[in-house]
Amino acid sequence: MKEELQLKLQAYLDGELPDGEARDVADLIARDTGAAALVTELKNTRGALKAFESEIKLPESREFFWSKIEREIGRVDKPQTVDSSPAWLSAFLRRFLAPAGAVAALVIAVLLITQQTPGLVVASESETAFPGADTFTYRDYAAGMTLVWLSYPAENGFADFAPDDTLN
Amino acid sequence: MRNEFPCAFQRGWLAVLPLLLMVCCLRAEVAQTTDVTQATEIADSSEMKFEVQLIWATNDKKSPNPKHKPVEPEIRKKLDEIPLKWENYFEVNRKQFGLVKDGKTKQPLSEKCSVEIKDIQGRKVEVTLFDKTGKAVFERKQPLPKGEILLLSGNAPDKTAWFVAVKRIE
Repeated sequence: MKEELQLKLQAYLDGELPDGEARDVADLIARDTGAAALVTELKNTRGALKAFESEIKLPESREFFWSKIEREIGRVDKPQTVDSSPAWLSAFLRRFLAPAGAVAALVIAVLLITQQTPGLVVASESETAFPGADTFTYRDYAAGMTLVWLSYPAENGFADFAPDDTLN
Repeated sequence: MRNEFPCAFQRGWLAVLPLLLMVCCLRAEVAQTTDVTQATEIADSSEMKFEVQLIWATNDKKSPNPKHKPVEPEIRKKLDEIPLKWENYFEVNRKQFGLVKDGKTKQPLSEKCSVEIKDIQGRKVEVTLFDKTGKAVFERKQPLPKGEILLLSGNAPDKTAWFVAVKRIE
């Protein structure tokens, strides 16, 4: 049996065919046993489905049921509305966040570098060697000691030539 | 639009985190500076105490001057930590003295040298070294927190050396 004919039989059974065409199909069913058998099977199937289809009844009216769904959808969407409502604040914070983060990172970097480089911390040192005295300075941060070596001729100022007369 | 930044950063209060971080860092830095200042600076009502030592460095085991005695262990330890060529260090003279804020004092260490220490606003000290003629040969300004040592030094005859150790003890 052609598929077209099967569809036509199904439409006949569902009452979807025009009167003229329905009569033709009825004649066909009366003549063709295969068509009659298919219609019978379709009727049985529909009957079986209707028997098992339970009807669900809403405890409230259809309009009230859909209005509840609509309210729930509105309630779920509400937080998003709250989030986006202060758009100017969000935009301001986003604009502020990037430069502030960069500045904070810069400050932290400077602080770390400063703390890890003791020479930068002790920036207030100065020394003056008067004419005739060259110096070099050695700083031991771990020992907390600064050594200044003067090339000033010791025998001229701090000691005499005799060893036992040195310094005192 | 909402995906430009991580979700957490879109929350408004998180935007102040960088500011808080900066404030904390600055406060820590100020606190550290204050500690250093307080460590260096003495209240107007009290005075700082310093100790200066004249030290002679030699490779000889004994000093020809019986009045000399080996330097105290603390100084010796610090001297051993720097690359000096001498094996023995003898204390020739030692003086302790107080210094009020913005005050100065000149201490003779021997007939041949003296040292002047001047406080600068409780933050730094100015140390000036004088030779036997009374001429200033060296001057240095630096913070000198408690426990730190400033060593002025130079050659002496017979491959020996002299040291003037300035230490703040209070």
